Amino acid sequence: MTAIAAYDLTKRYGGVAAVSDVAFEIASGEIVGFVGPNGAGKTTTLRMLAGLVRPSSGRATVLGQPVPGPALREVGTMIEEPSFYPYMSGRDNLHHAALLHGEVPPSRVDEALEFVKLENAAAKKVKAYSQGMRQRLALARALLWHPKVLLLDEPTNGLDPTGIAEFRESLRQVATTGTTVLISSHILAEVEKIVDRVLAIDKGVLRFDGSLSQLLAQAGGQLVRYVVRATDGAALLAALGRLGYQARPQGDDGAEVEVPQQEADELVFRLTGEGVRVTSAAQHADDLESAYLRLVGVEGKPS
Amino acid sequence: MSALANVVRAEWFKVWRKRRMFVLAGLYWLLFPVVVLVVARAIFVNLGDSFANDAGAVDMVMQQLVGPYGLARLMLLGPAYMSPTFYIVAVTLIAALLIGDERGQNMWKTVLVVQPSRVAVMTGKVVVAMLALGVLLLGAALSGALFGALGTLFLPTAVSGGAWGELLGLYLTQWAFLLAPVLLAFLLILVVRSGVLGVVMVLFLPAMLEALYGLITTISQLQPLNRINAVFQALRLRRAWEALPEYFFTANLYSPARKPLAGLVASFGSEVSAEVGDELRDFGPFGDLLGAGITVPHAAWVMALYALVFAALLYWTFLRRDID
Repeated sequence: MTAIAAYDLTKRYGGVAAVSDVAFEIASGEIVGFVGPNGAGKTTTLRMLAGLVRPSSGRATVLGQPVPGPALREVGTMIEEPSFYPYMSGRDNLHHAALLHGEVPPSRVDEALEFVKLENAAAKKVKAYSQGMRQRLALARALLWHPKVLLLDEPTNGLDPTGIAEFRESLRQVATTGTTVLISSHILAEVEKIVDRVLAIDKGVLRFDGSLSQLLAQAGGQLVRYVVRATDGAALLAALGRLGYQARPQGDDGAEVEVPQQEADELVFRLTGEGVRVTSAAQHADDLESAYLRLVGVEGKPS
Repeated sequence: MSALANVVRAEWFKVWRKRRMFVLAGLYWLLFPVVVLVVARAIFVNLGDSFANDAGAVDMVMQQLVGPYGLARLMLLGPAYMSPTFYIVAVTLIAALLIGDERGQNMWKTVLVVQPSRVAVMTGKVVVAMLALGVLLLGAALSGALFGALGTLFLPTAVSGGAWGELLGLYLTQWAFLLAPVLLAFLLILVVRSGVLGVVMVLFLPAMLEALYGLITTISQLQPLNRINAVFQALRLRRAWEALPEYFFTANLYSPARKPLAGLVASFGSEVSAEVGDELRDFGPFGDLLGAGITVPHAAWVMALYALVFAALLYWTFLRRDID
C-alpha cells in the first residue's frame, strides 16, 4: 500500500517555483531520506504533504487519502524547528496535543516521555529546555498517537553527536513498528544509516529517486576514492597533479583522490614511478554525501 | 469525539495555563470590588455622620452602588467606561493567546496537522474565547454579589433588593455581544500576522475610525454650500451620514453594560431618567458616551451584523492561508 504520494506537486511563490512537478510514491513501512541543498524545496514539499501549504498544482495523498484531510491524524510531524508553548511544561504540551488529537489515552503521554528519556524533565516548563530536549520532546509529540506516517524535517538539527545517536536509535525502534518515515536531514551520513531509499531534490526538481546503492552507482560508480599516504606529502600531491588527478591534502603526509575504476589498480605503481614512496593506500567506499554532491553538481552543498 | 470538541478541550486546557488569564480574573474579580469597597468605606466614614446623610442620601447611594446587587451591577457597568474598556482588553488578551501565540510560537504547523480541520480549529478557538469571557463575566457577577454581601458588615448596605434576573440577562447579552470583537481580534491578528500589532489595532482601530467620522463631520460642516455637498444633501446622503453613529461598533458593543446607568440614575431620584426612560437622551454632550439613543435590541442587530461580516472574513482568510 502507498503511504505517501506526491503527484506532480508544484508550489509557486509569485512567479518563482519553489517546487516543480515533484512526484514520488512511498510504500508503507519504507524509510526514505529526502536530501537537497538549502532552498531546494524539501521543507515546502513536506509542508504540502502535511497539508500546511496548498500546492499551486498537483496533489498529495497520505494513506491513500487526499491532503489536507482526516488522514493527517495518522501522521506525526517534526517540521523545521521544534515549537511548543513555552509557558507550559513538556507534559502539558504533550497533553495539549493529545487532547487536540482526541484519540490518545492519558497514559500514552508518559509513555512517550519515557521513550525519549524526558520523564524526569516532564514537569519543567519548555522554555527551560535545551535544544536537544526540545528535539526529543518534538519526537515524543510526533509519536504520541502511534502514527502510521512520520514526516521529519531536519530532525537532528541542533543535536550533539550523542543526541544524534540517541535520535537515530529512537527512529530505528519506531521503524520496527512498520511506521513509514520520510526524513530530511542536513547530516547525510545520518540519513545514510537509517534509510532504505533516497529522494534527492535540487532547485525544486526531484533529481533522484531510488535506493542508496542506485544513488551511489549513478553518481560515483565510475570512480574509486583513495586515501594515499607517503613519506613526503608535498611530493605525493605534486605527483598526483602530474598524473592528472585532483587531490585534496589529508594531513601532512596524505592526499585524498578519486580515480577512474580502470586506473585504480595502477595508482600505487604509477606513484612509485613518479618517485613517491607510498606508505599506505586505502580504498574508501563512496558515501551518500559525496555521491549526492556529485549528483547535484558543484553548487550542491547538502543542507 | 468530534474535531470541534477536541479543539475546545485542548484550547480550554491551554488558556488556563497562561498566567495572564489569572491576572485578568484577579483584576476583575478581586481588585475591582475591593477598591470599590475601600472607596465606599472611606466615603461612608467621612460622610456617614455629616449633614450630607441627614436624609439618608449617603446610605442610599451606598446601597445602590455597593450593596450585593449594586456591586454586581457596577461590575458590569464600570468596565464599560474604562479606556480602553476592560471588555476589549480581555478580548484582545484572549485573542493574542489563542491566535497570536500560534504564530508567535510557530505552533500552527503542529496544531493543523494534529487537527487538520481548519473550520473545527477556528471554531473551537472562538468557542473557547467566548467560554473564557463567559467565565470572566459570570465570575464578576458572583464576585460583585459576594463582595457586596461582605460589604454589609462595614457599610450601611443590605443583602435585599435588586432585579437580579434582568441584571443577569444584561450580563448574558453583553457576553453575546463580545462575539463580534472576538472575531475582529482573531481576524486582525491573523491578517497582520503579529499578536502585538493585532492587539493594538483591536484596541484602537474602531475608536480611531469613529473619531475620524467626527473629524470629517466637523470639517464638512465648515464647507460652503457647493455643487458636491448640494448633491450630497439632495440625495439624502447626509441623513444616512448623520445616522452612521447609530451603527458604530463601540457605541453598540457596550450598550448592555451601559444600560443599567439609567436605572442607577433613576434610583438617585433624577428626573432625567424618569422623563426619557433608559435612553439617557438628556445627558447633552455626554449622551453619546453613555450610549444615548441606542437600545439593546438595535445594538443586537448591529453587533450580529458585525459578527457575521468578521466571521466571514476570518474563515475566508484562515482557510486559504499557507502556514509558513
